[in-house]
Amino acid sequence: MVLHLVALVLTGVAAALFALIIVSLVRQGLPSLTWRFLVGSPNERAGDNGIAPELMNTAFLIGVTWLVTAPLGLLVAIFLREYGFRRRSAVVRPLNHLRATLLSAPTVVVALVVYRVAVGWWHWPVSLATGCLTLAVINWPFMVTVAEQALASVPQSYREASLGLGATRFATAVRVVIPAALSPLIEGWGLAVARLAGESAALVITAGVNVSRHFSLWGPGETLAVHIWYIRTEGVSVNRDAEAAATGVILLLLIAAVVWSSARVARMLSGGEPR
Amino acid sequence: MGLDIHVNKLSVWYRGHQALRQVSLDVNAGEVLALIGPSGCGKSTFLRALNRLLDEDLGARRTGQVMMEGVDVLAPEHDITALRRRVGMVFQTPNPFPFSIFDNVAYGLRLQGTNDAAALRRTVEESLRQAALWDEVRGKLRRPALALSGGQQQRLCIARALAVGPEVLLMDEPTASLDPLSTARIEELIGNLRGRYTIVLVTHNLRQAARVSDRTAFFAHGSLVEIGPTRQIFTVPQDPRTEEYLTGRMES
Repeated sequence: MVLHLVALVLTGVAAALFALIIVSLVRQGLPSLTWRFLVGSPNERAGDNGIAPELMNTAFLIGVTWLVTAPLGLLVAIFLREYGFRRRSAVVRPLNHLRATLLSAPTVVVALVVYRVAVGWWHWPVSLATGCLTLAVINWPFMVTVAEQALASVPQSYREASLGLGATRFATAVRVVIPAALSPLIEGWGLAVARLAGESAALVITAGVNVSRHFSLWGPGETLAVHIWYIRTEGVSVNRDAEAAATGVILLLLIAAVVWSSARVARMLSGGEPR
Repeated sequence: MGLDIHVNKLSVWYRGHQALRQVSLDVNAGEVLALIGPSGCGKSTFLRALNRLLDEDLGARRTGQVMMEGVDVLAPEHDITALRRRVGMVFQTPNPFPFSIFDNVAYGLRLQGTNDAAALRRTVEESLRQAALWDEVRGKLRRPALALSGGQQQRLCIARALAVGPEVLLMDEPTASLDPLSTARIEELIGNLRGRYTIVLVTHNLRQAARVSDRTAFFAHGSLVEIGPTRQIFTVPQDPRTEEYLTGRMES
């Protein structure tokens, strides 16, 4: 009873704090939240900043990273889970160590390594492409974990039924396990996208803090999160506080939309299953 | 028609623990053989050896032979996929896939590369009829299988196993999780399938074994104690251990 009350109060406090953050952010950013802000380009001297290229870069970076890491993470998870490599743990254990290390490593440090390799050795420019590579390296261990947990939620009895009908392990994974795991998979992917959208420090190093006049894979690719950081640290615009807040509002809305819709799709997919 | 199965000195170990000891027995084509015995006596292990589902457990090791049409199906070079098509399995708890009723039954066929819609429909209907489920699900084949009742789900799993045209059906306590009415329907179904398939049925329900099987094998501590016509096993068992078990005096 007492515990319930404490939990209730704490939940209320957390909700209030969250609301406070949102409200203050919206109030601060409201003057800058105009149509021109959404479709214009950054122009600090003119004083009418826009974030269209940043929106575009954010979507592109996240999209490409997702396209690369989602299948990769799923494949690794299938390899780890569906093939039950107890005997060959010499293969599995280093992979798990690498994943745990990357998952807990500060993303800035990962970015430094990627910078060293991509920019230093391969002579890639600080650009969208390098940013994609960085995000992919940061994200794949997370994607493996997401996929592994989704696969783990599939009852073993489905696998036995499929194997019993003459399916190979691979066919079982593709035809039964993945479709049955789709709901938690999509929910997890939504969370991964949200996590990527907030990434800033690693992208400051690898994708740069400005945008090119024309969209280019090899041009600098500032994202929304990096834009906020830039405006607040190096920006010279008169109403930089409002612009940063407005950018923050847009970023939050984007993340909320992704998380909400992925949860929605996940629920729709699991609609046939009584839980 | 079913298939003769000759099991020769089958032993199974799970990580050092011996689950089956030198079991030899024959299953005749088209008969229903019931396996009874206390929990952990190796009945299910025996069943899983017959379609090599045991192979999926990396900790399991086995010796001995299972001969079907003169071929040792336990030999490493024997095609597991082909074996499992001939030897279907129904599990303790109904385990339909979270797909539609139709997709469940069609699963095995699609696996074999059958994509012709008409052929799929024909086989799905035929299998559902054989499993005595057709009348309850006709016109609702696109509904999710998990919305069916437990008894219907189990009959769906039987239809799914029948759809790939097996010769042997392994049933691992197929009514353990069902109510009496659903159990009765499954038993009736087993009676109808007799003669067309060789059926090996593991059951904890002695009355069920007495009702549906032609012969009964009694297992204890991983060994085959006795096998014979069901009537004989239940009325004049040859081994004192069988009698102890049947009269409820055996401590497992």
